[in-house]
Amino acid sequence: MSRVIAAPRGRWSRGLTDPQVGLLLVLPAVILFSAVVLYPLGRTLVDSLFRDNLLSSSQKWVGLDNITHVARTTFVGDLVRTSIFTAAVTVLAFVLGLGLALALNVRFRGRSLLRGLFLMPWVVPSVATSFLWVYIFDTNYGPLNGLLVRLHIVDQGVSWLGQPNTAMIAIVIARAWTAFPWLMVIFLAALQTVPADLYEAAEVDGAGRWRRFRAITLPWLKPVMYLALLLEIAWNFQHLDTMYIITSGGPARSTTTFSLDVYQQAFSAYDIGNAAAIGVLWMAVLSVFLILYLRVLDKRVDE
Amino acid sequence: MTNYTFAAASQNNAGRLQEGPQKARGKSPRKGPSRTGAAGAIVAIGIFTFLPIYWLVTTAVVPDAEAYSFPARLWPGTVTLSHFRTFFSNSEFLRYFINSAIVSVITAVLAVVVATYCAYSLSKFEYRGRKSLLYMFLGSQLFPHVLLIVTLYQLYNTLGLLNTYIGLVLAFSSFTLPLCIFTLRAFFNALPTELIEAAKIDGASHWTIIHRIVLPLVRPALVTAGLYAFIISWNDFIFALTLSGPRTRTLPTGLVETYIGQFQRGWGDLMAASLVVSMPTVIIFLFMQRHLISGALAGAVKA
Repeated sequence: MSRVIAAPRGRWSRGLTDPQVGLLLVLPAVILFSAVVLYPLGRTLVDSLFRDNLLSSSQKWVGLDNITHVARTTFVGDLVRTSIFTAAVTVLAFVLGLGLALALNVRFRGRSLLRGLFLMPWVVPSVATSFLWVYIFDTNYGPLNGLLVRLHIVDQGVSWLGQPNTAMIAIVIARAWTAFPWLMVIFLAALQTVPADLYEAAEVDGAGRWRRFRAITLPWLKPVMYLALLLEIAWNFQHLDTMYIITSGGPARSTTTFSLDVYQQAFSAYDIGNAAAIGVLWMAVLSVFLILYLRVLDKRVDE
Repeated sequence: MTNYTFAAASQNNAGRLQEGPQKARGKSPRKGPSRTGAAGAIVAIGIFTFLPIYWLVTTAVVPDAEAYSFPARLWPGTVTLSHFRTFFSNSEFLRYFINSAIVSVITAVLAVVVATYCAYSLSKFEYRGRKSLLYMFLGSQLFPHVLLIVTLYQLYNTLGLLNTYIGLVLAFSSFTLPLCIFTLRAFFNALPTELIEAAKIDGASHWTIIHRIVLPLVRPALVTAGLYAFIISWNDFIFALTLSGPRTRTLPTGLVETYIGQFQRGWGDLMAASLVVSMPTVIIFLFMQRHLISGALAGAVKA
């Protein structure tokens, strides 16, 4: 991946050097990005230091009070719930994604078609999928309960969304259902690059299927899996759509994650300072993943 | 036989599943799970994936009387289009549809235009801060977009950008822009520099190089990035929910506002509406599968 070699000043593009042209080209993107991403993030940090109401225009400086208040009250709960959600979804999506990728890696007719079909949950808008799962988990008319009752697994409909534990299970399943196809595609693409020679050599040496998987497939996939894992964790840690529609954080805050808490604080309680404070702490946790991610990039982005 | 690196394979072949030289020796099942294992996994995961979709479709076409019997029947008895009629006879939804289309198209175009210059610069130029900029864009994937909404709402309120198309487009750029940048950058990376060098030696200005030589070559990438941005914009609901108003409400938002909390009646209507909302992205995806998948791989994992 070679770079354009810096040219002598004055010959290209109206007297600008190459580096200057390069900077000019990124300017629109940087301006736009600064306006809609950097500024809001920065403003959030600032907002957390004030007592501010969404509806009024007056602010009151409170310093770190908001943040300490949040840290003492809602932070831990949010952290636990968000972490549980993230871990459960990530593990489930990984298992499904990797399993399906391995299965689809076996060559057969119609494989491309199947891959496309399996991507449906990921392609469909989150509104639609969330409402679908609300319906599926409905106590009285949901097909899941219908199926369970028919199969005599339960006697009557489970109130999935009405109880704290099952509600969490419900949103985990709903989210994992939409998340695993993306992982499957990534893993499948990576699996396709493993040279067959490696497997054949191992087979000749007498290695069994499982051994081949552990010694060849897994190590080959490791870099991809690590990156995919980081991204998936980060995305799930900030996910909102599913719980917003399916449970609205209930029952009794049992499915309230950071994302929902921030949104509700800002737009239901109109408490901007509080929302921002939650956001600050949330970002602090996320930055751990950010640092890990940047470290991975450093190794790869060397061009 | 060539040893593909993940990078090369992703760019060249990701759209198509590989059937090439690796398989020439004919020992396909040996490199992973057995055929039965693979079939088993596909069936099991397939049930998990497609049963909900089956429920979605059947509920959308079944009259309410049937839907509200418990336990729900496995096979639809009578089929009706009444739920779809309900949707299409609602003039509000038609307006939401148009709004979604307008906002998504404009967002996609803006994102692609801005991202193209940016990605080209990040890929082919050398200057101080290039890496930092790249990390900034990449890192934004890991950051909570919900936080952006809180500030953007306040900002828009002051600037009068609520309930405007431009407001939505700019807000959507926060997630479409980085996405397009990565996708396009991967394609630019694959573009041989010799072409550009040759043009420079011939005395071409950067303007000419970009618009006469490079852009025509990456046209498929532009389409891919644009479609991707369109899909992501169409599917969003939380930004639109917060920042749109009666005049600019998008389809996902409309769906949420109409149906949230109204679960006790109208499952059929809701499922039909969800189906219709999903149609544009599903259709685009089905037709552009290959491009979109290779774009997704390029953007997300290749960094």
